[in-house]
Amino acid sequence: MTPTPTPLNYGETTPERQRLGGMVTWGATALLAIVALYQTLFAAGITASGFSSWRPVLYAYGAWGVALGVAQVVAHGEQGKRALFILPAVLFTVAMVIFPTLFGFYIALTDWNLASQDGMKFNGLANFWQMLADPFFWNALGNMVFYVAMVLVEYVIAFGLALLLNAQIRARKFFRVAFLLPLMLSPVAVSWMIGKSMMEVRFGPLANFLKWLGVDSPSFFGDPWIAKLSIQAMDAWTFIPFMMIMLLAGLQALPKDVTEAAQVDGANAWQTFWGVTFPLMIPVSITAIILRIIFKLKIADIIINVTSGGPGGATDSVTSFIFREYRDRSNVGYGTMMAMTYLILIIVFITLLLKLVNRWRRNLT
Amino acid sequence: MRVEVYNALMARHASRRSVLRGLASTAAVAAMGPSVLAAMSPEAKAQAELRKEILAIPGVGKGSPTDADWQKVGELCLGATKASVAEGEFAGVELTFMGLNNQNLHNFLFRGFLKPWEAYTGAKINWIDLAQADYNARLQQSIATGTVDFDILEMGAPFEGDTAGKGLLDEMPDWVKTQIEADDLVGYLQPPVGTWGGKTYRITIDGDCHTFAYRKDYFGEGAIGGAEVPKTWQQVNAVSKALVGKTDPLTGQPAHGYLDPLKGWGGFGFYFVANRAAAYVKHPDDKAWLFDADTMKPRVNNPGWVQAFQDVLDLIATPGAYPADQINADPGTTAFSQFLAGTGSMLMWWGDVGSSARTSDTSVVGDVAAFGINPGSERRYNSAAGAWEETANEAPVMAYIGWGIYVTSRVSGDEKKRKAAWSAAAHLGGKDISLWTAAYPSGFQPYRNSHFNFDEWEAAGYDRAYVEDYLGSNADSYNHPNAAIEPRIPGIFQYYSVAEDELAKGYAGQYKSAQETADAIAAAWEKLTDQIGRDSQIALYKASLGM
Repeated sequence: MTPTPTPLNYGETTPERQRLGGMVTWGATALLAIVALYQTLFAAGITASGFSSWRPVLYAYGAWGVALGVAQVVAHGEQGKRALFILPAVLFTVAMVIFPTLFGFYIALTDWNLASQDGMKFNGLANFWQMLADPFFWNALGNMVFYVAMVLVEYVIAFGLALLLNAQIRARKFFRVAFLLPLMLSPVAVSWMIGKSMMEVRFGPLANFLKWLGVDSPSFFGDPWIAKLSIQAMDAWTFIPFMMIMLLAGLQALPKDVTEAAQVDGANAWQTFWGVTFPLMIPVSITAIILRIIFKLKIADIIINVTSGGPGGATDSVTSFIFREYRDRSNVGYGTMMAMTYLILIIVFITLLLKLVNRWRRNLT
Repeated sequence: MRVEVYNALMARHASRRSVLRGLASTAAVAAMGPSVLAAMSPEAKAQAELRKEILAIPGVGKGSPTDADWQKVGELCLGATKASVAEGEFAGVELTFMGLNNQNLHNFLFRGFLKPWEAYTGAKINWIDLAQADYNARLQQSIATGTVDFDILEMGAPFEGDTAGKGLLDEMPDWVKTQIEADDLVGYLQPPVGTWGGKTYRITIDGDCHTFAYRKDYFGEGAIGGAEVPKTWQQVNAVSKALVGKTDPLTGQPAHGYLDPLKGWGGFGFYFVANRAAAYVKHPDDKAWLFDADTMKPRVNNPGWVQAFQDVLDLIATPGAYPADQINADPGTTAFSQFLAGTGSMLMWWGDVGSSARTSDTSVVGDVAAFGINPGSERRYNSAAGAWEETANEAPVMAYIGWGIYVTSRVSGDEKKRKAAWSAAAHLGGKDISLWTAAYPSGFQPYRNSHFNFDEWEAAGYDRAYVEDYLGSNADSYNHPNAAIEPRIPGIFQYYSVAEDELAKGYAGQYKSAQETADAIAAAWEKLTDQIGRDSQIALYKASLGM
């Protein structure tokens, strides 16, 4: 008689262990709540005693996390051990992403100027209404429309370069590395090397070249539209390689038999591109464009270094304006409200964009 | 020369030139007279020798000083420290010093100066280096979040409201006042500057004011800018317009007049249009010039300020008056990329442009640069009467009131650490070391009466006439009876920063007029005052002006 195999033991979960696990969880939670409440009341000026910093609350949170892990194993055995794989990451995300974001939303609802004698004061949606009436904010948002629209131009250039580098040209490997070099530069370095040196009106090589061509006083940042285009050109020069490399990877992954079949059917290069290559590249293109738009929405460093948003706000971006509001004016509450609103705008914009693109692709097929 | 003596001479209508001639003669007599020499105490002789020795490090025209030079100067100036601190007395003490790293100066010098001090006392200093543009934010964040993590702080007087006003600073012990010879400071840097609530907190290491720098080769008989150097802002604008189309005698490039910085500079750019405005609005009978002292109502949109903005708009509207791309020029550009490099003929800046013109490797105007005080105006606006007065006016702007070294209250509970912190600060603010920082590129300008002994500068290799001119412009500004003192109120740079944003729009033609631009600034300032707290701002504004 063959003995019945013993089922695999994934851990015993007895009512006693579950009770013990629950006690550990609730005990640690109570400890965290007490420590946090104790410090919150002290910080709010309601009680006279408290810790000198919030560090003990952080330690209590760490202890709570450990206790939660232990409690999972005690209460649920092997299932609890599985939870340990994800629990640290969840707690870390809560501490480093979710809590700061929620705290940021709270700050956005306060009147908090660092120079104010009264410190932080809750003021509801006053910052939001102020933002809606702020011409600097709307000007910066308007500029962002221009900057984002220019991503399409960058895409066309990047696609062209990717096609070039995908073709059988001489020194192809060299050009691939050379075209990637701008991406390796920090935008701050680009600001100084290009914007403030090469484009400097008095001694910059680019300005001198234009003088040699007969332009009287070449100024790259004097006229609002020329300044906007100059900033856009520097940013594009830095990030076109990023799109180019993504598109090149997509081109190299294309099945060769499809394009060969098109050629056998008599399609010329132009027809092959529009009829075969481009449609197949749409998924990669969308990814590249969306990522580039996300990068573009953060544009600030080149603007801050080269024009400070000028002339007259012509090159200002939302991020560079928030930076001034924070750094120069220590206006934390209002700056955070703009940052949070901008975050929501970006999320909504990207979500809508993805939906529209998906609908468009469905209609294509 | 002492300020009181200078003021007395001024009151008798002595010109600066005649005063300086008199001073030079006195110095010459003193240098020659054996009885005077014999009267010098051995200590005084030793100090004179020391000052001569440090001024020869590395020597004018010998290139920019290096870390080895700063250490050497620091070592030679350790005498006062040795008198008050025993060797190794601060062993085990660690201090954190927060300061700037502008143009590789400030903290870079302090490190060198303090290295011998660390070796002698046994203390160790950790450094927090900040760019000028990041300074305000870092300081404000530390204050607001209760995370002051530095014991010694390099700070400008405008921030005293933010720090001393909130109890974050340690009061200066009396022995420090003696060691740094605080009574040698020029008049305007004496209390109430550096004090708060009657207590002294600051070791002054700099004396800030804006002076007028111009090119000698543009002015004089037959020169392209006219026979006379402009003395008023009306003349400055007229000359700037008249120079259009002419050629710079030094560089052969197009000639330009006054260099207004039209781009913001983290709030610091506002000082420059304030130079123009002060001549119009700083009335001798009224210490206030930015706000009404009783209400904090901005004066920035009164007719005097509007005239200053209009002056700039007039030059913007004159093609060729400014160099190309001036709309994108901040004050760093106007001083270092333009004026010192030979573009433009007139500039307002802090006094260190004077020493940089001669000692910086990148300057081409060392032989043609000359100096004066802030140009005046042919008329002035009386805010109390609400009307223009057809009376000439002058008002040098004491922009930023200079850097100082402060000790934070972090050390207040530990007497050994406190003494160490103040000893380090006093070493940097010492009388002799200050002569060196005034004479060589340091980011600091002369601020003591003893800095105006021209013999010492001449002995260091400076051209006598040049140094009299350069130092004289500083002395005249410091001691001017109608000097425009900057208010030391919390958030002062927020006012300036928001004004820069509005001015940028005005300069770009986005407002219909100078008045509309000024009204926008005034509205933003009102909002800011309400946010920071109007009543406390009124009280602090009055206190800072000594009202």
